[in-house]
Amino acid sequence: MIKTTRTTLNYLTGILTTIIFVFPEVIRAQSEEVAEIVTDSLFRVDRINALIFVVVFCSAILLYTKWAKAGKPLFLRKIPGLDAVEEAVGRATEMGRPVLFIPGIAELDEIETIAGVSILGRVAKITAQYDTPLMVPVRYPLVLAAGQEVVEQAYIEAGKQDSYDKDSVRYVAGEQFSFTATVNGYMMRERPATNIYMGAFFAESLLLAETGNAAGSIQIAGTARPEQLPFFIAACDYTLMGEELYAASAYLSREPIMTGGLKGQDFVKMLIIVAIIIGVLLATFDVGEWYIHLFEEV
Amino acid sequence: MSFWERMEKLDRRWVYLAVGIAVIIPFILPTPLPISITTEAQSLFDAVEALPDGSNVMLVYDYYPSTIAECEPIAIAACHHLFRKNCKIITLSNIPYGGPSMAEKITRMMADQYGKTYGVDYVNLGYKYGYVAVLSGMGQSIESIFPADNSGTLLSELPLMDSVKNYEDIAFIFEIADNATADYWVSIVNAQYGVPIGCGGTAVMAPKFYAYISSGQFVGLLGGMRGAAEYEILINKQADAVKGMQAQSLVHLLIIGLVIFGNVGFFVTRSKQKRGAA
Amino acid sequence: MRTSLPIAVAFISGLVLVVAFFFRDDSLIGSLRQEFIVWLTIIGGFTLLLGVVSIVRVSWTAVKRRKEGWFYKILTLLGVFAMAIPAVLPVSWSPLFGRSDGTIYDWLFNYMQSPMMSTMFATLAFYIASAAHRAFRARSAEATILLITACAIMLWRIPMGEAMLNMIPGDLPSWLNTYVMGGANMAVQRGIIIGAALGAASMSLRIILGIERMYMGKG
Repeated sequence: MIKTTRTTLNYLTGILTTIIFVFPEVIRAQSEEVAEIVTDSLFRVDRINALIFVVVFCSAILLYTKWAKAGKPLFLRKIPGLDAVEEAVGRATEMGRPVLFIPGIAELDEIETIAGVSILGRVAKITAQYDTPLMVPVRYPLVLAAGQEVVEQAYIEAGKQDSYDKDSVRYVAGEQFSFTATVNGYMMRERPATNIYMGAFFAESLLLAETGNAAGSIQIAGTARPEQLPFFIAACDYTLMGEELYAASAYLSREPIMTGGLKGQDFVKMLIIVAIIIGVLLATFDVGEWYIHLFEEV
Repeated sequence: MSFWERMEKLDRRWVYLAVGIAVIIPFILPTPLPISITTEAQSLFDAVEALPDGSNVMLVYDYYPSTIAECEPIAIAACHHLFRKNCKIITLSNIPYGGPSMAEKITRMMADQYGKTYGVDYVNLGYKYGYVAVLSGMGQSIESIFPADNSGTLLSELPLMDSVKNYEDIAFIFEIADNATADYWVSIVNAQYGVPIGCGGTAVMAPKFYAYISSGQFVGLLGGMRGAAEYEILINKQADAVKGMQAQSLVHLLIIGLVIFGNVGFFVTRSKQKRGAA
Repeated sequence: MRTSLPIAVAFISGLVLVVAFFFRDDSLIGSLRQEFIVWLTIIGGFTLLLGVVSIVRVSWTAVKRRKEGWFYKILTLLGVFAMAIPAVLPVSWSPLFGRSDGTIYDWLFNYMQSPMMSTMFATLAFYIASAAHRAFRARSAEATILLITACAIMLWRIPMGEAMLNMIPGDLPSWLNTYVMGGANMAVQRGIIIGAALGAASMSLRIILGIERMYMGKG
């Protein structure tokens, strides 16, 4: 036992010595070489650290996706907001009222909007199965085209093509508050039983969520905008925070190929946490200057 | 129902009425208040102050007309400071209204005050669709993204743009934003091209921007009307933001009061329910 | 074909932009990236037409069928064209229908659109007050800490409140700025930003590789 402990300590001391004394020298030497190469190379050698990160990130995602496809069971923690989606649509069906879905108010080149449109596809499948009216107001033409395509496909897959209404996905206004005023008016007139907000939201988040609250709707929100989360948390029944929004499509689909991506992402997150802890420790003992340079352009 | 129970379940319309009154009172009874300067505002001021006279600065109007109350005082104060230092200003916007309307209106108004000439001392590039593409593209060539300015004049015909080809020719970026475009100025322009950025934004965006302050990606920050008021004091041009702080003060106090009343009501109701159950 | 072509386009565009990040702007792939970016702004401009078509179609149908509120749809159509036409024409092509001072566009922007948008944004103050009153309850120890912190920050952000905080010994305003805003708040914001950025990167990769197809309607 003592021998094992001593061996482990020896290893740790060796690793720490390497980190503190050897690495900085190697990096300094490399930086001098890199400075010479950078000036005449088409390849951005100064971004090699970013390249390493991209390679590790992609490998992790692809590896976990491969394992998932091979049938390896992957654990996904429960996300109550997403579990509530089906129940909330069921409530709308019982009440005979529509479901309102807003895929954010950003353009389609925003990854949050793509996540929102993906979730819309899953929600539309459920509303199609239950024959519940769905209303999707959008702010950008490209989101309109994508939204219509996704909802139509969901209705076709559910065998309810005849129930599909092209105007259920509707361009409302290109301006933030004209959009908000129209949607708020709709909420107060039609009193949708369920409001789902998934995507990028800005100052209108509380205007929408408070109106929905006043109209007595069940509300589920999800956004990666940290500044809007407090508003949704205050006014909605369930809120998906940050990366939960991006995980939603995979979570709702439960397809191994999709969940594999989530696990890969979690693995990289663990690496980042470890890197932060090492950085904090080194900076605390004032020996971390070289370590910080690893994360800057070389 | 007791007073406290009523306070807990106060109809929201009473809350709206109270907020309305709190906003109006300072206009009837103005009470000037002393405003201290935060380190974030001071460092933004210092960064602009440290620019050599005549530097090329990008002034970005990334806000909608809806947030004029918070953002316009920042834009006006920034113009005062930059024109006073004889900086050459290049304005643009990633918001459809920002470039063609707000940037045009404010920059021209301020330029007239300082006797500056369009095309020589300042240029308005206007708006172009797709901010991620616009910010990335300007790193290589501003002209490939904005072949002409807001009024349709080719950039090659504007003397100021002879010396400004891409971010390498920009000494500082003053971003005024009420939305997420500020994140892209950080991740694309500051991170990839190293141009220093100072930011003024709405109060609701400010907490998020603190993450960019300590990392050095923003040299300074003006958070909402308070930030604008601080900058007005720093440049010694007290105007709308300093006045607006009075209404903001009263509304903040009102909200704190409502939260306290609501909580007292909550505890009174809960203790009554507990006693009832016992 | 309807699925594989968009996936191929997404894959090639994504790959070019990612790879170009590691090459200098004057390299072949750097130039290609710049081309892609210019295409993106051009295609984006055309997509705005889709919006105009959609709003005109929905509004015109409502007017034709005399649906409830059809009169407002006429106003919507007038508004769309009054603002859209001058926006695509040169600034001073007409003293009345251009975009310079004193034109209809300028008048509509300054005296209708801008005040209406500001009014909508201003309603946030009312909603924040109502939501804070309803939702801010000291139900647990965490909620109480949150509540006290929120009130202290609100006080700190106003001159009157700052003066009140200064009466308490220990330079509370500076402490709030350093430890609450620059400490706890910043750490939480960074945590969410890092998580969200990884989520976005992972989703982008799934899209580039064609694993995530739901946004095209393919489950």
